[in-house]
Parts: sequence; C-alpha cells; structure tokens
Amino acid sequence: MQERATAAMTTLAGAATVKPTGRQIDLRKRRRPGESAIQGFLFLCAALSIGTTLSIVYVLGRESLLFFSDPAVNLCKFLTTTRWQPTIGEFGILPLANATLMTSAIAMAVALPLGLGVAIYLSEYASVRARSILKPALEVLAGIPTIVYGYFALTFMTPLLRAILGRDVVEVYNTASAGLVMGILILPLVTSMSEDALSAVPRSLREAAYGVGATKLETALQVVLPAALSGITAAGVVAVSRAVGETMIVAIAAGAGPAFTFNPFRAAETMTGHIVRISGGDLSYNSIDYNSLFAIGLLLFLITFALNIISRQVVRRFREVYE
Amino acid sequence: MRTKLFAILIVAAALLLTSCGQATTPTAAPTAAPTAAPTQAPAAEPTATTAPATTGVVLPAVDPAQVTGDIISAGSSTVFPLSERMAERFRDEGYSGNITIDSVGTGGGFERFCVNGETDISNASRAIKDDELAACRAINREPVAFHIGTDGIAVVVSKENTFLTDVTMEQLAAIFSSSATNWSDVNPDWPDEPILRFSPGTDSGTFDFFVEKVLNKDKNLILNAANLQLSEDDNVLVQGVEGSPYAIGYFGYAYYQENANRLNVLSINGIAPTAETVEGGTYPLARPLYLYTTAQIMREKPQVAAFINFYLTYVNEEISSVGYFPLSNDALDASRQAWLDAMGQ
Repeated sequence: MQERATAAMTTLAGAATVKPTGRQIDLRKRRRPGESAIQGFLFLCAALSIGTTLSIVYVLGRESLLFFSDPAVNLCKFLTTTRWQPTIGEFGILPLANATLMTSAIAMAVALPLGLGVAIYLSEYASVRARSILKPALEVLAGIPTIVYGYFALTFMTPLLRAILGRDVVEVYNTASAGLVMGILILPLVTSMSEDALSAVPRSLREAAYGVGATKLETALQVVLPAALSGITAAGVVAVSRAVGETMIVAIAAGAGPAFTFNPFRAAETMTGHIVRISGGDLSYNSIDYNSLFAIGLLLFLITFALNIISRQVVRRFREVYE
Repeated sequence: MRTKLFAILIVAAALLLTSCGQATTPTAAPTAAPTAAPTQAPAAEPTATTAPATTGVVLPAVDPAQVTGDIISAGSSTVFPLSERMAERFRDEGYSGNITIDSVGTGGGFERFCVNGETDISNASRAIKDDELAACRAINREPVAFHIGTDGIAVVVSKENTFLTDVTMEQLAAIFSSSATNWSDVNPDWPDEPILRFSPGTDSGTFDFFVEKVLNKDKNLILNAANLQLSEDDNVLVQGVEGSPYAIGYFGYAYYQENANRLNVLSINGIAPTAETVEGGTYPLARPLYLYTTAQIMREKPQVAAFINFYLTYVNEEISSVGYFPLSNDALDASRQAWLDAMGQ
C-alpha cells in the first residue's frame, strides 16, 4: 500500500517536473518497484513448485539409497525376484509391479476405447443440447473422490463379477474389479483431452473431406482422428500415468498381500496399495520396511516420469501443424 | 349437482384436516418425552457406580470431575476398543480433559512409549519384549505393567465352509504355512482347493502372538505362504474370509463377536473360545492385555494415575461387552496392588 503510494507520488513529481520546464517527455526506462515485486513473486511461485519437485526427488533418492545400500538388498534381485515380504527380507518388486501393470492395463482397456468413443461423439456428432448434458455429467464423474470409487469396486463391481463368473473363479479382492472401476475413474480424463485434440482440428479439413464425398463417419475416423493423433496419444499416456499412480481404489479392492499372478480375478497388491497398507500400520523409522517404501515410491516416480517424457516426445513427433 | 359435489369435497377436506390435526397432537408427546429422559439419566449414573464391586484390594476413590490434564496413550488395536470404552466412561463421569488413544499396534505403541517417550500409557496385547524394555530404560523409563483382561484369538472361516469346525494346533500351523497350498495338503479329506489366508499385519500384536503360539516363532512360514492377505484393518479380514468357503483368518475375539452372524469360529483341539476356557487357559490362543506406564509418570501426572485407577476399578464391568474376557478377582487385585506399589501407598 505504502509502496503504491510512493510510486504514485514519484509519477506525480515526475509530471510536475515535466510541465514547467516544457522539455521533451522523458522516455527513459523508469523504475517501477510494484512491477518488479510482482515479477519476483511470480518467479518465487515457479521456483517453489520446482523446488518441491526437486526436494521430493532428493528425499526419495536418499531414503532409497539407504534401502539399496542395505546388505540384505541387491538391485538385481529387487528387479527380478517374485516375492515381496520385507519383514523376512524378501525384496522382489515384481509381484507389486505386476499388479500395478495389470490394474493399469485393465483400466486402459476400459478407458481408452470408451473415452475415445465419447470424445468422437462429443466433437463430431453431438448436438449442442447433448453436449450440454454429457460434458457436465462426465465432469461429475471426474469429481467423485477415489475412495468412493474404491468402495464402489468392492461392494458393487466385485459382487457383480462374482455373480457373472462364479464365486469360485473371482476372489473377494481382485485386480479386475479394481481395474474396471479405475477405468471409469480415468474415463473423463481421456475424454476431455481427446476431445480437445479433436476439436482443435481445423474445420477446413472436415469441409474438404465432405467436399470429396466422404461420409461423416469416414471424415471422423479417416481425417479428423489421424490429424488429432498426437493429442490423443498424449491423453493415453497421461491416463496411464494416472492409473499407475492411483492409490485408493487398489488399496481397497485389489488385495492386501503381494502376489505374483497374471490372473485378474485373484487378489494382488499394487505398489501404491502396498505403500498405503504398510504405512497405515506402524513402522519404525529406522527399519528396512520403512526404507523399502521409498524404493517403491522412487520406482513409481521413475515410471510416471518416463511416461511423461514419452508423451512429450510423442506429441512433438506426431504433431501435425495446420496453418 | 356440481355444488353438491363441491360441498362433499369440502367436507372431505375438512375431515382430512381434522384427522391430520388429531394425528399431530399425539406426536407432540413423544418428542417431549425423550428430551426429558436423558437429562435425568447422567445424574443418576454416578451414584450407581461409586461403589466398586471388589472385595480384595481397594484403590482410593477417584472423582473424574476433579481430574485435570490430558492423557496420551497409544498401542495395541486389540486394547483400543476397551480403552476407548473406559475413557468414554471416565468422561461421562465428569473428566473434562483429553484422552488420546491411538491404535497403532503393540510394537508401535512401545516405539512411542520407549523410544520417543511421547506417550503416558502404552496399550499392549503381549508382555513387553526385552529390547523394548532396554529402550525404555535407555530413556529412564521403568515400565510398570497392569494386567487388565484376557483376549482370545478367534480362528474363523466363512459361514459357507462345510468341512471345518475344529482344528488341532498342528493342522492350524500347517494351514498357515508355506508347506500347504491346497486344503487337501493338510488333510486329504478336505477339498482340493487353494487355502485363502487372511492375517493381521506384521506390526500387530495379534500377528506376533499367533506366530509365537502357532508357528513356533517362525514368521517365515506364514509370510512365505501363497494367497496370503495381511491387513491392519480387521474389516478387510472379515470381508475377505466371509467371501469364500476356502478362506480362513484369525483376529481378536471381539471382532468375531461383532461379526458372529457372518463368520464361524473354529474350536482348537476341541476347545471353543469361551469365558471359562480362555480364563482357565485351556483355550490355546488366549493372551493377556496390558497397560504400561511408569511410576514416575503416575506421580508427575496425577490424571494418568487416576485414569488407571478408574480403569482397574471398573474394567470388569465393561470388558465383556467389548468382547474380551474378564480377569479373575485375584489377577485384578494383583494389578491394583501394582498401582498402589507404584504410587508408594
């Protein structure tokens, strides 16, 4: 407040000095303390977010280093063996990673085709009225807390699967139900990103297609879709990283014990689910169990980081620029 | 014609209104009644409970309304509901401070009590271990134990399970070991289906106790077993066991009691968990429940001493409804004597 007042005073004073002498208007760069304060503040905001990311990487790295430097752990075994039971010194990440992969794959199998379908409908076919109903409905889907989805999986999806496929085939906790519900969770994300990409395709392309006699479907699938491919691929990659990092649904519905299985109807614990369960109990800070959580966290981080880099590359590589 | 119809309608409407009016007057009475009742109840309660029902060691009387200051406790998830109940009663009788009770497992409770020294009372579903004792002494805390009750571990199966009502300790060990994958591996008469195991998490006192009693302290056996689900959340276990006829799990008897309509409890060596078998020690999976604190804390924080005093005085009136088994008078008197000794009285 005071700063602004003094700034106003200097401009006033400046104006006062200009008038009586009748000299040329001074065009030299004038100092504006308010301006530079705001610039500084904005820079601080940016620096803060980068600083947070860096310190997360630092903490993850430091604690993981403690874990990997433990004589009981060996990186090769960590990445290749199939038993994870830190309490008795079994550190093979594969069962957890495998479960994460399975739930994510199932989720993508639901979300990608469905999301793309909805996006094509919304951008190419839907009337204004249908859009005005569908879009907010999808946004509501995105706003549901994931814990609600978790219990939806456990109390609705799992009984449904068990009723269809038989109680002996489907266990109470299973990766299929968690994956299916996770697909519903990331559906709005896929839809809105793909729809943005489709809508960004210039109208002239569609009109050209109609001009050479293409039907609406041909236009959508053979002209608009390829043109928007980079954006759609990016949507897919972002959705995968969302699925890999999703926690609450798998913690509730997928299972509470690491198991190396490719059967989606069996219980298996994902990386995020394991972190939640173990840290939800009580852990000694200086135990190897505790440090192992950071190693899992680091691996998760590396996976999503790699996916982000891939998505950037994809966007750049397949980008088609019109005008 | 039309005016007649109109008149009938008006009469009908008037009748409806009066009947509604009549209906509303009686509802006024019940709303008044409950508001009056609770105001009387709390006033009557303390007079009923002031006389401790003991014959042996009698602790000095506590008036919770006179007690000030906060109490921090943490530990066993098994002791948690009992402590919660006692704290509730303590508050009902006038205590106005805060009692924090964290359910973090026995080991976690001792970690906070002995290593960080941040709690006043540590709830435990087993006796303190030597290394924990050493940690406590390292920060100049000499723990005092108060035996408050007994818990039985219930081994449970689904209501749909038709082949299991009783197991021997040997069978139980085999069922929860990596050596068996299918039920038929333990007993050829049992189905050739995978055993789905549900166990409390590795940090819980229940897990420690089960491993010690059933698996001869070798936790590799259970942790290497296939189809094992571990959770600190007992509801996860209840839900999991309930869901399949081939599932089996174990947890504190209180949780079984809460879910008795959803699960079957097994007898062990032919002995079912009941008050007699648990207290008499014939049921093999019975374990003691403790509160730990130190004499110094009790003297420095009178509210802690008062709460434990209150706990030891009334625990047997509450413990059965929480789902555990009350101590015999002799055992409880020993705890009360420990309280007197700690206070130097």
